[in-house]
Amino acid sequence: MTELRFHRDLYQGESVDEALQVYAAYGELARAEEERYWVVRVTGKTAERERRLCRELANYALGLTIRGRTAE
Amino acid sequence: MSTKLEGMPAEIVGAELEKGSVSLDLEASLYPLEAVYGAAYVFIDRCYVVLDKPEEGKLRVTLAWKKGETSEEALRLLAGEFANELLSCAWRDQITRENKAVIESVTLQAIGGAMGPPSLDELASFDFTEEPFEDPLGIAISWEEKYKKTKAPEGPGEAEAQPASGSASQTLGEVPAEAPEPTGSAAEPHGEPAPAAVAETDR
Repeated sequence: MTELRFHRDLYQGESVDEALQVYAAYGELARAEEERYWVVRVTGKTAERERRLCRELANYALGLTIRGRTAE
Repeated sequence: MSTKLEGMPAEIVGAELEKGSVSLDLEASLYPLEAVYGAAYVFIDRCYVVLDKPEEGKLRVTLAWKKGETSEEALRLLAGEFANELLSCAWRDQITRENKAVIESVTLQAIGGAMGPPSLDELASFDFTEEPFEDPLGIAISWEEKYKKTKAPEGPGEAEAQPASGSASQTLGEVPAEAPEPTGSAAEPHGEPAPAAVAETDR
């Protein structure tokens, strides 16, 4: 299991949620919240798959956040 | 374990070769968040990008090639390219901030122009009592002042003193009996046509 931590000042919660929905089919994703972070626990079928899933999910969440901020 | 990359400041750039990633620790006061977002968005199609805020006033960008290059040289190249793009984005962000008022003004004028000319009602309610704009060089002149009509001459002697050139109607009644062939120029009705008129007929 890998834990992804997205700082609340840098990532929009809606963007993280949307990324979770998109990548839910590719692994086991659990969402948690901390005071300053959105936390996502990722479990993949293999270590390599899990690693790639984490990176793709993080990229997707960042892309949505940037687009969302630009549209504001 | 973080590895120092050759040619990069160790306090800013560190690589994790086993993960194939490189991190840049940035001062938020030097690189505004919008610039970091801009640079990250440029790289997001070929790299995995993760942002973090390790402490207040600091930003950390972690990058890894999507194509899986993990060599020190590849990571050094990635860090260098990102730093260049980041600098460019920060500079553009500053220019945008400094020129925000000008950009808004020009955009408003363009939109106002696209809305078409004012209606008669708008003209009727326009306030013409405002002071005219400053003209320190004295080059502005009103249309009325520039093109105002001069008084027409009153006596017959004054009318004869008017120059004959520039008006064909002044010579229409004075064509001699043996008039030359018309050349297309009404300015020279007497005798030989002017050289310019000959040149025109030769063409």
